[in-house]
Amino acid sequence: MTGAPAASTSTSKGAAVSVEGLGKLFHPPGNTRDLLRGRLFRDPVRALEDVTFDVAPGEVVCMMGPNGAGKSTLARILGGLLLPTSGRATIAGHDAAAGAPALRRSVSFVVGDERSFHYGVSGRENLRYFAALHGLDVATGRRRADELLDRVGLAAAADRRYREYSRGMRQRLAVARGLLGEPEVLLLDEPTLGLDPVGARDLRAFLRDETIRAAGRTALVCSNDPAEARALADRVLFLQNGRLIREVAPAHIEKELGL
Amino acid sequence: MTPARPLPSALVWFVRAMRAFARRELVSMSGYRAAFATRVAGFLFAVVGMVYFSRFVSATANPHMAAYGGNYLGFLAIGFLATELQTVGLQGLSRRIRSAQIMGTLEAELATPAPAWMVLGTAPVYEFGTSALRSAAYLWAATWIVGLQLPNTNVLTVIVSVPLVLAAFIGLGLFTAGSTMLVRRTNPVAVVFGSLSFFLSGVIYPVSVLPAWLRAAGHLLPLTHVLVVLRGAFLTGASPSAVSGSLAALAIFAAVLIPAGAATFAYALRRARVDGSLTHY
Repeated sequence: MTGAPAASTSTSKGAAVSVEGLGKLFHPPGNTRDLLRGRLFRDPVRALEDVTFDVAPGEVVCMMGPNGAGKSTLARILGGLLLPTSGRATIAGHDAAAGAPALRRSVSFVVGDERSFHYGVSGRENLRYFAALHGLDVATGRRRADELLDRVGLAAAADRRYREYSRGMRQRLAVARGLLGEPEVLLLDEPTLGLDPVGARDLRAFLRDETIRAAGRTALVCSNDPAEARALADRVLFLQNGRLIREVAPAHIEKELGL
Repeated sequence: MTPARPLPSALVWFVRAMRAFARRELVSMSGYRAAFATRVAGFLFAVVGMVYFSRFVSATANPHMAAYGGNYLGFLAIGFLATELQTVGLQGLSRRIRSAQIMGTLEAELATPAPAWMVLGTAPVYEFGTSALRSAAYLWAATWIVGLQLPNTNVLTVIVSVPLVLAAFIGLGLFTAGSTMLVRRTNPVAVVFGSLSFFLSGVIYPVSVLPAWLRAAGHLLPLTHVLVVLRGAFLTGASPSAVSGSLAALAIFAAVLIPAGAATFAYALRRARVDGSLTHY
């Protein structure tokens, strides 16, 4: 890749997402052979190193990079699901490492993993269950689930079992779940992963126009798809081997990637 | 975006989560009618098997059963019910974690604002509830279908003992759930503990048949005291003071196991956030 210098956007007060010197080191447990050699752990794996950037309120930033670059690790730290080894991240002023309910009300982690729902019940039942985990009472949870199913175009399929949903429907249901708590910040990890081109285009349009822009939300999108970055982002940051190496405008992604 | 609505109190929130969990389980179960029918059939076979086994054992006078009024069917029924409660305690939480890890739902659930204890606590409470209903059905079936007699039941002792029984088993469950998260394997502690308890606590035979040193070892297990208390309450009408030794032992188990188990579980949860193993299986 060529082009702009390494990105290390200084953090500022008032940012919706603020990441300062974030690092993450994993210590994979050793196998039997390692244990026999007196080693409990294998060599550490550095997933993130000194990552610093800001996302302003209402801004959409796409975090790009090859597989294993550290995008999902970063998203999980910001969602309070993983603790960083060094540095600090805040979302809407809440420390991500504390992982408190207040943080998880401000941010919603939408992962393109279709295993994250209960297969044996309908999309509607799934959303009602997650609505209760957001603290909503039965009537509000029911109303909110119905509204969101309608917004993501799943009203007609709301009572079909999740296991009967297509991949695109599952992604849409994941987006609906991410909006249950009306979060300020959306973390979207590979939101159109595995979708056909038309399905991906439609879902991106929905995310951009109805989920992010119309509501004035801040979003951090982790992806390695240039089309996704171009369709959704105001800025694109590149991660490689856990380090933030550059920042580019969405219009120049292909040039940066040498495509 | 609308302003953030205030969060409900922890108790209200837990009740909402509990209700939603139970609803989802029941809806899910109704979709698997064959599995449901199989469970009912298994339950009926177990009751009938227990009756014939008790008839076989009661056919000859047994001095070890004298302390229980010779009521081997009641003795056996309470042994199995207490074992089921212990199994729920030992495995309810760890099974919930394993199943959510394998299904992939754990991370999504923990990403909601609900505290981890609430997300994970719904399943054991649900399982204790369904287990209590199953136990009641078991006793009802044994009473009305095959003539189980429990004429001496001391209700006060039952009321006093149930919270202590549940507390001791919940403490054990927190320990085993922590170990499941740490080793990411099916509950190794529960398997060992369950087998030892079956052997030493007197589930299908009175502990009086065991040698003294094994009886002494059995006193280190909560199930031994649970059986003393419940059999005393249901079979011989024992008052709380008559089984006070075992009630005190259960109180000590609860006082030690709940804080220690909660600390172990909290440590395991933190480890999972450090090494990223919430979704590993």
